[in-house]
Formats: sequence, structure tokens, C-alpha cells
Amino acid sequence: MASRYDVIVIGAGHNGLTTACMLARAGRRVLVIEKGKAVGGLCAPEEFHPGYHAPGILHDTAQLRVSLLEDLHLDEHGLDLAPPEPTLFAAPDGGGLTIQPADPGATAADIARLSAGDAARWLEYRAFIESARDLIEPLLNEAPPDLASLGSFGPGALGGLPLGIAARLAKAAQRFGRRELAGLLRIPPMCVADWLNEWFESDVVKGGLAHAAIQGTWAGPWSPGTAANLLLLECTTRHSVVGGAAGVANALQRASRQYGVEIRTEAEVARIRLENGAVAGVALTSGEEFDARVVASAIDPRSTFLRLVEPGQLPIAFEHRIGVLRSRGTSAKVHLALNRRLELAAKPGERVARARTTGTLDDLERAFDPVKYRGASARPLLDIFIPSVASPETAPDGCDVVSLLVHFAPFDLAGGWTPAASRRLGDAALAELERVAPGVSKAVVARAVLTPADLAERFGLDGGHIHHIEPALDQLVIRPTLDTMRFATPVRGLFLCGSGSHPGGGVTCAPGALAAAAIVAAS
Amino acid sequence: MARYDAIIVGAGHNGLVAAAYLAKAGRRVLVLEQRPVIGGAAVTEEVFPGFQFSVCSYVVSLFRPHIIRELELTKHGMQLIPLECSFTPHLEGPGLVRWSDPNRTRREVSRFSRKDAEIYPEFALAMSKMSFFVKHIIDSPPPEIGSLHPNEITKLMGLFGRLRDLGPDMMELHAQLLTMSGVDFLRMWFEADALLAPMSCSGIIGTFLGVHSPGTAYVLLHHYMGEIDGAFRSWGFSKGGTGGVSQAIANAAVHHGAAIRTDARVASVVIRNNRAKGVVLENGEEIDARVVISNADPRRTFLTMVGENHFDADFVTQVKRYKYRGSSGKVNLALDRFPDFTCRPGDGVHVRGDIAVAPSLEYLERAYDDAKYGEFSKRPYLNVVVPSLVDPSVAPPGKHVMSIFVQYAPYHLKGGAETWPKRREEFGDTVVDTLAEYAPGLKESILHRQVLTPWDLEHEMGLTEGNIFQGELSLEQLLFLRPVQGWSRYRTPVRNLWLCGSGTHPGGGIMGAPGELCAKSLMNEGAV
Repeated sequence: MASRYDVIVIGAGHNGLTTACMLARAGRRVLVIEKGKAVGGLCAPEEFHPGYHAPGILHDTAQLRVSLLEDLHLDEHGLDLAPPEPTLFAAPDGGGLTIQPADPGATAADIARLSAGDAARWLEYRAFIESARDLIEPLLNEAPPDLASLGSFGPGALGGLPLGIAARLAKAAQRFGRRELAGLLRIPPMCVADWLNEWFESDVVKGGLAHAAIQGTWAGPWSPGTAANLLLLECTTRHSVVGGAAGVANALQRASRQYGVEIRTEAEVARIRLENGAVAGVALTSGEEFDARVVASAIDPRSTFLRLVEPGQLPIAFEHRIGVLRSRGTSAKVHLALNRRLELAAKPGERVARARTTGTLDDLERAFDPVKYRGASARPLLDIFIPSVASPETAPDGCDVVSLLVHFAPFDLAGGWTPAASRRLGDAALAELERVAPGVSKAVVARAVLTPADLAERFGLDGGHIHHIEPALDQLVIRPTLDTMRFATPVRGLFLCGSGSHPGGGVTCAPGALAAAAIVAAS
Repeated sequence: MARYDAIIVGAGHNGLVAAAYLAKAGRRVLVLEQRPVIGGAAVTEEVFPGFQFSVCSYVVSLFRPHIIRELELTKHGMQLIPLECSFTPHLEGPGLVRWSDPNRTRREVSRFSRKDAEIYPEFALAMSKMSFFVKHIIDSPPPEIGSLHPNEITKLMGLFGRLRDLGPDMMELHAQLLTMSGVDFLRMWFEADALLAPMSCSGIIGTFLGVHSPGTAYVLLHHYMGEIDGAFRSWGFSKGGTGGVSQAIANAAVHHGAAIRTDARVASVVIRNNRAKGVVLENGEEIDARVVISNADPRRTFLTMVGENHFDADFVTQVKRYKYRGSSGKVNLALDRFPDFTCRPGDGVHVRGDIAVAPSLEYLERAYDDAKYGEFSKRPYLNVVVPSLVDPSVAPPGKHVMSIFVQYAPYHLKGGAETWPKRREEFGDTVVDTLAEYAPGLKESILHRQVLTPWDLEHEMGLTEGNIFQGELSLEQLLFLRPVQGWSRYRTPVRNLWLCGSGTHPGGGIMGAPGELCAKSLMNEGAV
């Protein structure tokens, strides 16, 4: 007889663990099934070379929605928050500047070395972000409005918006000004290049900001809709987690233990079992079966519905909508083990934990161009994270771990991700790092390259996409589809709780938390 | 007292539509046109003796049928001939022809993909449904987002309600249509590159975007909505060239008593106490009117004819931010004979619609890449029509006029827009060379050639940065944001100064809607 649970969560990534913990805290008996050896998914740390611990695939922890996780008391389980970390925008000529999210004044002073005008504009830009934040954050911290009731004054809904949010938004809008509110609507469809050109003149500033906007997208800075990504990122940057994404994974793992969540690793779900169109449980590839009336899938929507639900069980139109979701991965990961500390040309002698390469907007666009023809960037963009600056135990004494998110490398590379192609990707990334940290190549004692194909294979990501589905405007507004955007799905008892759901990818834990609330509300 | 109720600056088709509506309602109207001919970009000119060219715009699709009825344009000489097909020649194989007969199209498409052929009708149905919804938006002034006026809220809720009534599938599709790339949108149905390429082209016409750029799906619909006299989804030629449309509207306007003066270039709008009082012509003549309606684009109107000092700084910033970035050019050829296309020779029905040089998505995207970095495409997308095959009146017997729309030709060349005149002929050669790959006899059959670069469109037609739509049709420049947020209802911060051109909602194309909506708004508000 199969063991019985209230809820089975598929995937022990940060969102799956969040859902599991919240449901366990609400008194449910929860089982998490994880394909990999470790829990944490894209946040899981990994010893990729003896003595060198990589921090997980995702870097940015600034968007973690602490307010949604209060119930879990993660601070008691080791979650350590710090102010948002400074990020060095490293220019290929060895120059650069440091963006300090918590200190606009100091940032402006650094920018002033490049452009006095931009320094002044920076303060205006930050002020704009701060006022936009009041409007945007509430939308991202709640389940999305029920668009199906849009345009009607239903019970509890004002034009589809729950009254609570509507009231809060109205207040924020009043403060922001109605005119400005309408003006805010202009930004999301814009390309980030146009938006940044309205603000700044310095390539270092524009390139560094645009770089953040196009991570994980199938888009360059001249692609419309990319301004939305920058706006959302800026408006949700609040803090950082000590230890990076691994710090989040560790805290969630400890919490799940305390709340009584069972976790099965190295167990792969073969299918979601249905009876009379409703969830009955899951069957593993090993043949083992578990019963549950509710399954929450933290894996991507395409894998959930097209791989785990048997054909013929879903309405054809729905299956079509899931089938056309876009999840063309464009990011790769390179871990480097150095036999000394990393020194960045822009800040000699300083310990820098986070950096992003920058360049002209056209440079960034050129990094994207090859993807359209199934090629990888010859000069990729690097998002650089050095975990050993804040957590010295991740590398031997006097040494550094350098973890790079590399853009752009398409999942569907022409000719496939052969070992040679993977090596070329590693070489291109290292060559780019060499430009901002001369001599680094000689200090590399080991490297691990994870191509999008490797990411797909190791983490079960459709298309190797680190955000499950692309953060394009259409897939942000309605994520992933109209009939699944509020976490429930057309299959009774089946819920989505991963990055493919509102409000999207990254280490936010928001989809997991909002899905848990939806599950509790539904039962 | 002013002699005129309204002066309209520019006799483009929208200016003429506005004039006709106002005149029909009994207003005294004067239209002033800087060129010797009327029509603006919807103009027919005998560029070479005996050859009549639709110099700029070349097909008619979006013209609002109710305008034809209300202004009785058929009576005034408007005659549209539907295009029967769209032909995409290939270097190998017979190419692809999409016919107005869907069954015939399916047979053609099935050579590339049976699946695509089967789904084609479903796609057509979805697009028609969407067009019906979008029509409501096109045929009324844009909703004013942010306004708390009960009328505005009711209007907005009504729009949402109508959207909701379409059902979840269609709601989702509309959201996708507004934000997706043309290719991504089409890929929800189709797979064959040979079909996707020519279909996605409608999404890039007039924009500075590639077929993979988000936002192009909407432009695709904008063109897909072609509607000729109530018959949905068809494009057409205007008899006598697109100038024929302008002439018919002008006839209607004059019939109702409007006056039209050509060779009358407006130098500035006269403003006293923040009110428009009339205009001053370049020759110094001053003409008074109760309202001034500008058919010119927002930048020319506000910054050149009025002047920055009449507006607050925020408005000026927004006018300057409004993007033009012309991306297309035009090559007009007078031909001694019709050249054969290698893949389908002869001057049969297949070449009597439009001919699109768009062999693959990669071809189109690479054409865009060239433009992104300030070069005209080495191998551009071409949309070719030969109106003389359908309407022999435009060329001497046996001879032909060929109109080639070319993209990409970025206004901002790497060396600066002012280098365009030096490179005009090189650009013309590129276009002819490209087309000659598909029709090798082309070069020998050319009698005359006219090349219009975006720089020429700016200098000759008065289109800022050569943008054929008076501003990009990108989402952030549509609806209540076109041209400036808070000023999307044809009014301007200067009292009695109005806009009626493509730079206002719902945008460009030979549509007539901005002119009509401006005239009606203005009369509704009792401005004249």
C-alpha cells in the first residue's frame, strides 16, 4: 500500500521547500520528492573541486521576499540578512564603478568620476525607483488578480483586483500622482536601452544596469519589454543573504526538518497519478507510489504538464497553451577555483564579492545577437560572484571561488553542446574575466562548466532555463497561462509553485509562498 | 472675426479626412499644403513622363470603411482593387504564394508543412476575432488611463468587459499579441520557416525592430486587419495610385466647401495668450482661424511650428522622447517590360498582389542586425508591388511601374543621417541587386529609378526622421501614450491647437482614423 500524504511537493528547490515548509506549518503532512542528491535546486551549494564550494546556480538574493516568509522564522534556522551588497560594474578597459543599493549618495559620488550629469541623474533615478516601489511591490507580493473577472465588480474584487490590494494601490497612486502612474505604464514595454538612454550617458552605468535586465532572457537591450525586468529588479531589491543562495537553501532545509517535512532525494517522479481527473498521488521511476490529494509542482510548467501528466488527461487547448510557453535557456554557469585571491582591475587590493561586466549597449546587444542564430556569444556577459569573500570557508585559505553566470549561450546551440563546445564556452568566459581581472587565467586550478544542456539535465529544467520560463512581458503578466496563473490548475488537486509561476524566477521564494497560501485556501 | 473656423496644416490623407468631416458639418475650412501636390505620403506623382507612382505608401488596407460611407468617397472617385495574393519568391523551388482563397493557400503551404496547412484556418479565425476587438479600439479615441472621470472608468470597464466576454483563450491571446514578437506569436500555430518569414514581415513594417523583437505581434495585427470597404483581411491598390485615395477625400472636402491651397508652407502657428489664432506662411502671409489642426508629426508641430517656449518643460521632454527612427526606404522603378521571377516566371496572377523578398527568418533578422549598428541591410526585406499589372492606366502600354518598399534603411546611419544623400545610389543598387537575384532580367528592364531614403522622406515629405507612421508603433507609443501621455485625445497644451496625423491614436497607415477622430472630438467639445 502506498504511503499517504496531504501534499506531495515535486522538486526541493527553494520554492518547493518554501511551499512544503508553509504547508507543514499549517498542519499538513508533506513529502518533498527531489531528483538530485542534494536539496536546494538552483540554490544548492556544491563542492566542485576539493576544498572549493560553489554557491549554487543563482546569485542574486536581494529579491528574497522576507515579508512572505515571516511565518517560517527562517532567522531561527540560520537565515542571515545583510543590506544589499555593492556590485562592481566592471568595464572591459579595467575601469568601473561600484553601485551601492543602500547608499545612493556614495554611488553618485563614484559615478561622478565618469559623468557629473549621471551622478545627479542617479539620485533622481533612485528616487523614482523608491516611489515606483510602493506601487510595484504589492503586486508582486500577492497572488495575481483574477483576470477572468476583470471588468466586473464581483464580490471582493474591484475589476479583478482584491479589494486589499486595490486600496493599497490607490493610496500609493495618490502619493505617486495619477499622471505619473499612467507614465509608469509606459516603461514596461520599452527596451531597456531606450529607458536607460533617457536617464544616463555613461556606458558603464547603462551597460551594467542593462546587463541585469537581460539576464535569463532571450533578448538584448534593444528588445522591447526588457525595461520591465530592470524596473522589477530595482523595485524588489531590499537586502542580501549572507552565504548567497546557499544560505537560503540551508535555512529552508533546516526549517523543513523542524516542521516535519519529509524529503526524499534521488527520487524521480515518473508521473502524477490521476483518478477521475483529480490528483491521486505520484508514481516514481522506481515504481514506488505515494498517495496524496494535492500535488504541488515546483518544477517548470512544461515538464509538469507535458512530462508528468499522462497524455489525454488535459484539455487539448490547455495542453497547447502549455506547449507554446517559451523556455529557451540562454545562461550557463562556470565555477572557477583560484589558487589565490581574485583581483579586479577596477578595485586593486579590494575584496569585491559581486561584479557584473559592462560595456556599451551595442556591446551587450552583440553578445545577444548570436543566440538568434543558435550560436553562443564570443564575448559573453559575466555576472561574477565570489562567495569566499563573505564566506571564507568556501575556499582554502588565501584562495577564492569565482562563480560566473554567463550570458548568452543558447540551449539549442547549433551542433549541440559537445565537450568541445562546452570547453569553448568556458574559454570565452575566462577570456572575458581576464579583461576585468588580468592574470586570473594563471590562477585557475580547476573549473566546472555547466552549459544550458547540463543545467537541463542536472536540474530537470525545460530548455535549461534558470527561470523555468522566459521573463518576457507576456510571460510575466500572465505566468504561465491564464488558467494556471493563480497556482491552481485545470487538474483538481494539482498546483504550480515554482519559478514558472507569478511573480517569476530568481531567489524570491514568492511563488512557493503564494502557492502554499492558495493551497491552504483551496482545502 | 476669423475667416476660417479651422486651418489644417498638411494635406495628407488624415488632414483631408479631418477637413472633409468639418466641412461636411458646415465649418469653414482651409487646408494648407507645403508641396505642389496634395496627399502627403499617400500621393501619386508622375515621377517620369508617362509613369504614375505611388511614391511613398503603396497599398491600402486599413482605411476605415465607415469613413468611405460617411464621406461618400466612392462617389468622389475612390476605387480600390483588392490584392489577390502575396508571393514570396525563393532562390530554389517554386516559392510560396498565399492567395485570398484559403484553400489554395493551404495547398501551397502544405508543400512546406502539412501541419501548418491544416492549422491555417484556425489561425485566420483567431486573427479575425482579435481584429474585431481591436477595431473597437481603433475606431474610438483612446481611453484615458489614470483619469477618475466616471465616463473614462465606464469606458475602461466596458473594454475589459468586452475582453472578458471573449473568453479566457482570447484574453490570453490579446495579452500575448500586445507584447510578443511576431515570430513567437506565429509559432504558436506554425512551424515552417518559409511560411513564418513572410507572415512575420507585417510585424516589422515601419518599425525599427526585428521579427524576433517583442512588440511586433501587434504591428502584425495592425496590418493583418486590412479591411477594404467592409471586406475583412484584404489589402488593395487604389486606382491611379494611393494618391487616388487622397484625391477622393479632397474632392469630398471641396464638395462640402473646404478650400485647399498647395505650395503654401506654414512657417509657424500664431499663438496669443496660449491660444492658437492662426498660422503664418513662409511667404509672410498670416491667416486667422478659430482652430489650427496640424497633420504634421508631433515634433514638427510642437518644436518647429509652435516652439518649445509655449510648453512646460515636462511636455517638451516627452515630445523629445517620442521616437521616430525611420527604418525604411522606397525604390520606384519605371520598367520597359515585366521581368520574370525565376522561380515562377510570367506576369500571371501570382505577381499581381504583393511580392515579398523574405526567404527565411534568419534573412530578415540579419537585415535588422545590420540596421541596429547603423548600416542599411546588405540584403534587405523588400515588399514589391507592380500596380501597372492590375491598373494599366499608371504606365504607358506594355510598360510597368514597380514600387519597392525597403527595410531596413535606418535614418541614423553610422556616419550620421546627413550622409544619406551620398549613399542614396549605393542603397538603390543594393535593392536592385537583391531583387535581381530572384528576377535576373530586372536590371535590363529598368528605364528610370527613383530612390527615396529616410532622409529624403524627411526632407521631401516632412516626415521626421523618415518615419512613415509619424512615430514608432511600439507599445509605449500607442493608445493613451500616443504621442504624449495625457494628450492622446488630439488636443494639445496650446488651446485651439489640435493634432490629426498618424502621430496620434490609432497610428499610421492609410487609415483615416486619426483625422476622423480628431474632427469629431473637436466638434464634440464645441471647439468650432
